[in-house]
Amino acid sequence: MFFTRSRPKRYIFSKGIDDTLIGVYNAYLFVARFFKEAFTKPFHFRVVVDQCFEIGLRSLTLITLTGFVTGVVFTKQSRPSLEVFGAASWLPSLISIALVRALGSLVTALICAGKVGSSIGAELGSMRVTEQIDAMEVSAVNPFKYLVVTRVWATVIAVPILSLYCTTVGLLGSYLNVHTHEDTSFISFMESAFEAISFIDLFTAVAKSVVFGFTIGMIGTYKGFNASQGTRGVGRAANQAVVLSMFLIFIEEIVIVQISNWIKFF
Amino acid sequence: MTEKHYIQHTINKEEKVISIREVYKSFGDLHVLRGVNLDVYKGENIVVLGRSGTGKSVLIKLLVGLLKQDRGTINVLGQEVSQLKAKELDALRLRVGFSFQNSALYDSMNIRQNLEFPLVMNRKQLTPKEIGLLVDEVLDAVGLKDKKEQLPSDLSGGQRKRIGIARTLILKPEIMLYDEPTSGLDPITSAEINELINEVQERYNTSSIIITHDLTCAKETADRVAMLLDGMFVSVGSFEEVFATQEERIQSFYNYNFTK
Amino acid sequence: MNESPNKRAVIVGLFVLVGLIFLAVGILAIGNLHETFTTKMRVNTVFEDVSGLQAGNNVWFSGVKIGTVKKVSFHGKSQVRVMMKIDEDAQQYIRKDAKVKISTDGLIGNKILIIYGGTPEASIIQEDDTLGVEKTLSTEDMMNTFQKSNENVQAITNDLKSLTGKLNKGQGTIGKLLNDETIYKDITATTHSLNQASERAQVLMASLSSFTSKLDDKGTLANDLVTDTVVFKSIKASITQLQHMADSASAMVDDLKKASKNPKSPVGVLLYDEQTGASLKQSMKNLESSSAKLDEDLEALQHNFLLRRYFKKKAKEEEKK
Repeated sequence: MFFTRSRPKRYIFSKGIDDTLIGVYNAYLFVARFFKEAFTKPFHFRVVVDQCFEIGLRSLTLITLTGFVTGVVFTKQSRPSLEVFGAASWLPSLISIALVRALGSLVTALICAGKVGSSIGAELGSMRVTEQIDAMEVSAVNPFKYLVVTRVWATVIAVPILSLYCTTVGLLGSYLNVHTHEDTSFISFMESAFEAISFIDLFTAVAKSVVFGFTIGMIGTYKGFNASQGTRGVGRAANQAVVLSMFLIFIEEIVIVQISNWIKFF
Repeated sequence: MTEKHYIQHTINKEEKVISIREVYKSFGDLHVLRGVNLDVYKGENIVVLGRSGTGKSVLIKLLVGLLKQDRGTINVLGQEVSQLKAKELDALRLRVGFSFQNSALYDSMNIRQNLEFPLVMNRKQLTPKEIGLLVDEVLDAVGLKDKKEQLPSDLSGGQRKRIGIARTLILKPEIMLYDEPTSGLDPITSAEINELINEVQERYNTSSIIITHDLTCAKETADRVAMLLDGMFVSVGSFEEVFATQEERIQSFYNYNFTK
Repeated sequence: MNESPNKRAVIVGLFVLVGLIFLAVGILAIGNLHETFTTKMRVNTVFEDVSGLQAGNNVWFSGVKIGTVKKVSFHGKSQVRVMMKIDEDAQQYIRKDAKVKISTDGLIGNKILIIYGGTPEASIIQEDDTLGVEKTLSTEDMMNTFQKSNENVQAITNDLKSLTGKLNKGQGTIGKLLNDETIYKDITATTHSLNQASERAQVLMASLSSFTSKLDDKGTLANDLVTDTVVFKSIKASITQLQHMADSASAMVDDLKKASKNPKSPVGVLLYDEQTGASLKQSMKNLESSSAKLDEDLEALQHNFLLRRYFKKKAKEEEKK
């Protein structure tokens, strides 16, 4: 590059900015590599399935609890404001809209970012610093395919399933609260809950969860795969995986809501 | 590049398996390798000696393409490593065994699965029964037949080293690369590992590069010793030949190890 | 040697980051893709008062959203020019003689601009056309109508009083009285304005009931306000009174006209005098009672909290005078 000679400066901006931008560049290469390797042979189906179960089992209890509590509390807190208008009968549809459109996938994504993202970061990070990833590479196994691609696929598959599960549990929690107050039957609760939801809501919710799952898997594996500096690096990889994926999940939530609003017009 | 200290001793073996020419490698400001030359002949054990942080591990990582040199050529089994495509590199890697410093056993798998892993991934034509026989064979070779179903975390450091070596042996490599095989082990276990390295050489007829700073290990296992100082080999020859020199840095390395 | 790949990494990283930020911000900023990609045309209108209309409010035609208000700016002395962008798809349905009015979508809802009317004979609107405005009926207008009607009624009552007074005092026949141009003109004029008031009141009544029926949905916050039947009933009653009065007045005028047909025959005069006198008296009574009732109704309206503001303003204005 022509200005290299005229300005023999080490950093283009400053050390911090340069490092950040190099980080962005590396992340970009990592994601690009994922898309290149995710759709070429060999596929490690068994590992993907195993990882799906692992992710599911790891976060099932927490998601059950959180989903249920979200449903109950949200119903409980919304009741007074709706009762003012004598519209307590709107509770099921209100809750189902809130859960399906936003809370279900968001809560699940945040929990998975905390549990799954950190454990992927820590697992790959420790594999990196104890040279297990190198060992895999020298035994002619592509560690990117075997470790990264499989885990990202697993999160992409598991997170949407978990969010649907979370939404269902949340609705059950909400039903419990509604039932104790109004003696509503389960059928009529579900009927008014689903009346408020269109196919596009459901589709958006699943699409959103797929993006969240991708984010969690990608960031967890990226941070773990590029961990360095021994055990400290492992902790940092796990920590950064959580922080960064939660941050991105919120941004994606906003962007996807915006896009889904467009879709509704077509 | 300053002066070239090169004490070349005469070894007459006919077939070269590894040939390293003028290799340079740096990490940022740190110039680790500065013009390395080395030939490894078929069937010999060559020990690369040097202090920690002199780039010994970097050298063998270059051999299997885990790192890429900045300059120079590395020829392994007749192929130029840095020029290979991914598939060719994988094929080469199957012919070269790499034993890591900390064994690098997969934590999440038990010993049997660890040993099976390279086979399951690379020798798809093998039946489970054949794989089982091969696992038993290498476990027999490293003397740990009874640990098959245990997790790596249940084993001692020496046992893990053996399993690590067994995992590379299972692919029947032509070249073995040992990264600090005796580091972190007590003298008796170290001696066992040294013995194992010699056994492997005889049993599988491999050529080996052993990276170490342990002179006992070097003495026990080396057909030849290569002394790496300041990013290049300053002396290559038999153990006695290398340490017979008056070169100050080699002497201080020798004295530090044996008078401690 | 080591610097150029680093430099490339930094630059590519910068591009990726900037690209991502642009993408995200772009998606959030565009707002409504649907609107962004349809072609628009500009239409203007001028109001006396836009009652809080803002740029961004929706434009409706036949209940369909067809565009948005782009700019609200002052125009001329104190008028307000409203520039709106409407979808070109809707252009063919809007005629040059269509009118624009300001309304709300719901009681607490946003202001909306409604394009309505228009006849097929007029040509299709073009880019940058200005549409006309018809005055909307605000509460103020409604009250003005009532007030005016009431004044009319009082005037007509006074006229009739003086008329009957003269009759009683025996100052000539009806025919003579009717020949008195001034009185006759007075009466016809008042009746006419009374009729007009009644018509306007009816229009007002129709718009009022459609206004209320919209807000009749139960469970809304607006319900309380709208179902305040007192206001509604008194307004309704006032309008009915006005109609009654208009009816009686026109009946009376008819009587008078009949009487005047035969002014020269004394018998006829006498007969008619007595007959018309009686019917005139009856009409008088009707009018008087109607007028009193309308007064009452207006009085009731004045006490309603919703309309209190208007009457207070009115009182202040009078004080100033």
